[in-house]
Amino acid sequence: MKRVNSKILLAPIVDNNPIILQVLGICSALAVTTKLSTALTMCIALTLVLACSNTLISLIRHHIPTHIRIIVQMTIISSLVIVVDQLLRAFAYEISRELSVFVGLIITNCIVMGRAEAFAMKNPPWPSFLDGLGNGAGFSVILIIVGTIRELLGSGTLLGHVILPLTRNGGWYEPNGLMLLPPSAFFLIGLIIWVVRSWKPAQVEAPEFRIQPAHNLTEVGR
Amino acid sequence: MIESPQTMNHSVSNRKILGIALAVCLVCSLIVATAAVTLKPLQTANQLAARQRVLVELAGLNLPDSSIEAAYRQFDVYMVELDSGETRQGLSAENFDLKQALRKEEWSSPLARTDDPANIRRKPKYLPVYQLRNRDGSLGTLILPVFGYGLWSTLYGFIALDGDLRTVKGIRFYEHGETPGLGGEVDNLGWLARWRGKVVFDDNWQPRIELVKGNVSDDMPDHQYKVDGLSGATMTTRGINDLLKYWLGDTGFGPYLLRLRQQHSNKGGNNETS
Amino acid sequence: MRRLLDKIKPHFDKEGRLANYHALYEMVDTFLYTPADTTRSAPHVRDAIDLKRLMGYVVVALIPCILWSWYNTGYQANLALQASGITPQGWRSDLLLWLGFGFDPDNIPACSLHGLLYFLPIYLTTLAVGGCWEVLFALVRKHEVNEGFLVTSMLFALTLPPDMPLWMVALGISFGVVIGKEIFGGTGKNFLNPALVGRAFLYFAYPVEISGDSVWVAVDGYSRATPLGLGALGGLDAIGADDYTWWHAFIGLIPGSLGETSTLACLLGAVFLIYTKVASWRIILGVFLGMLLTVQLFNMLPDSNPMMAMPWHWHLVLGGFAFGMVFMATDPVSAAMTNAGRWVFGLLIGFMTVLIRVMNPAFPEGIMLAILFANIFAPLIDYVVIQLNIRRRLQRHD
Repeated sequence: MKRVNSKILLAPIVDNNPIILQVLGICSALAVTTKLSTALTMCIALTLVLACSNTLISLIRHHIPTHIRIIVQMTIISSLVIVVDQLLRAFAYEISRELSVFVGLIITNCIVMGRAEAFAMKNPPWPSFLDGLGNGAGFSVILIIVGTIRELLGSGTLLGHVILPLTRNGGWYEPNGLMLLPPSAFFLIGLIIWVVRSWKPAQVEAPEFRIQPAHNLTEVGR
Repeated sequence: MIESPQTMNHSVSNRKILGIALAVCLVCSLIVATAAVTLKPLQTANQLAARQRVLVELAGLNLPDSSIEAAYRQFDVYMVELDSGETRQGLSAENFDLKQALRKEEWSSPLARTDDPANIRRKPKYLPVYQLRNRDGSLGTLILPVFGYGLWSTLYGFIALDGDLRTVKGIRFYEHGETPGLGGEVDNLGWLARWRGKVVFDDNWQPRIELVKGNVSDDMPDHQYKVDGLSGATMTTRGINDLLKYWLGDTGFGPYLLRLRQQHSNKGGNNETS
Repeated sequence: MRRLLDKIKPHFDKEGRLANYHALYEMVDTFLYTPADTTRSAPHVRDAIDLKRLMGYVVVALIPCILWSWYNTGYQANLALQASGITPQGWRSDLLLWLGFGFDPDNIPACSLHGLLYFLPIYLTTLAVGGCWEVLFALVRKHEVNEGFLVTSMLFALTLPPDMPLWMVALGISFGVVIGKEIFGGTGKNFLNPALVGRAFLYFAYPVEISGDSVWVAVDGYSRATPLGLGALGGLDAIGADDYTWWHAFIGLIPGSLGETSTLACLLGAVFLIYTKVASWRIILGVFLGMLLTVQLFNMLPDSNPMMAMPWHWHLVLGGFAFGMVFMATDPVSAAMTNAGRWVFGLLIGFMTVLIRVMNPAFPEGIMLAILFANIFAPLIDYVVIQLNIRRRLQRHD
């Protein structure tokens, strides 16, 4: 039992990562990773929502009628998200302003709904809680990597502390403006996927089709 | 451990479905409402503090031992009717929300395209101004709200003038959506520092301040009227030029500034009574 | 040389000691000599021409642009030196003075040499850094190094401003080769033009170094806007106020990226490419017509910004339009493959270029983004064309 639980907790970090294998939750990964501080806040918020929603939904899973299960899940998730949003506004105002709508958009983050439907509806509360925590951690690992690279290369800072002094402030580092734009997160996530799949070839998807060998083509052509 | 979906009850009565739905909604709404109500005072305080912080920093009041709120209380805040330049007693500046005012008919009026160089569409009728007095009662700092369109977004900010109503103490844009690294450099502290000591009006009190291409050195002619433009951000630079001309000119705070100057000369630098 | 290569060949064959480095041998061998076996499969061009010859033709077509880039870069720099009175500094001016050429804008060899000294470092950096990536991927994937890179590197270098810092050049071509090409499987499998991907990377990463006013003339501390930049701010009046005429822009006596200034040189290249059937005339004509039609449309609308009223013959000669139309849009790998698709592809590029130039306040130039945009749509365009074709044929048989 213990080993099963630790597997539930750890598998989503690399082997079944919600971002790089399931390719979910990309929207927030693009939007909030310009700075490490916003990325971290988002990680905490999402992990919190994910763990709580998984536990709550698992607790009442026997009572949720199948007809309305999606809407019940949605109600619980959105309530949690609103509470987290309100908490951030009250206790971390500056960061909540930078995150703007993206905390609210956790409601539509596929990871939360996906785990509720795929795991919490079928499992007891404790494993569901661990599953939420694990998936939150998997999401967080990628966000933190992307956020670190983007803040370091885009602004020369980490959590606001100057690491690479910028040329326009008298230093030597010429900041990479692309890193401040959302597409750079796409490139970075793509590169991470490349690295992970080279390391663990089992994650490579089967090609959807194969190109026919050339000599066959010419025969068909004639 | 994994339960098969069959254990879930498929044939539930409508009454039970309704009951569960109601119960979930009730519990959720209770939690959300509690959070919203109990946290509301903290949130409004945060919002207020954020705006006050900008003003306090602009005026250079941010002493380490004084809290933002205490520092902010040193300001005299007035609502100014822009067209006449008079201050209005009855209006509260504390609850003034610029964006809401721009939406309301009684708080703002539409601008024709030709009268709208700062590209703001609607001009508010009243705006708050923030005054800071010296020990002897003379005007030390005047902070005016300014806003206008840059490249992608409206820039909202404040400009702080010294007591001579001519020299820049500081400028700050607290909200904008310009390109990071280009127009977004309006937040660069190094660039903001270059505004200090610049002169916004010429000898006839016409707005003269201008962002120019390249670096402004002290041996340039008229360098006191010129500030370095943002490199690579032509449109944001142009937007700031336009919005400053608009708000400092007769279209913006011109009438109010004229009144201030008249009072100043009438009373020999004594208190303004408004 | 031939004998040497033949002698060491066995080492690089399948069982040889150096089998892992076969790609390196192959590259040196075939770049220097006509290969014994020509391209058999045709992943890139559905055509009988050998890939190597095809890429050679593109380089030949680029010669007018390359030569002009030397002359004009030097000419603009010398003109600026004369006008501003700045004393040139650095190794380039030392070398020029040592050779006794000086900085006379009317002296054609002096100008060309001055420009060459800007072109060469950029080109050699591109070649060295991009080449390293090519070889690395070829070694890891055990395929041959592709000649396409020679074209990519030349195109990439020609689209950069003369003052570009070399480390940015290196970063740009790395991004272009790796992200724009290799991750999709190498030459023939990339759906974007790698040279443009590299340039777009630099454009968004270091906009101050590749746009604006101060980068187009290779003199430190001297800034002069390109005519296109002037046009975006003040329309034709602003261009005329800086003493640029249409003929200046057509011949290429204007500041700009290294190889893009001369429309005439690009058109010479176009004639050669169309004559040798390397480039599709449908794409070139499509881009031109797309531009023409869109400009006519904008000219009819009331002016809301200075670019609205700019006539088509100015759009043709300003910025990188001609260069992009002739050399970038026609890249056989990333363009549409069907004839009808090529028309649509070209029209889309022309339309998007003008749309970006006129409507986007941030980007005075639009051809780079327009081509990348159309590259993304090329497979879709081809798919629609083929499906329509299938449906038409099926109906014929019903």
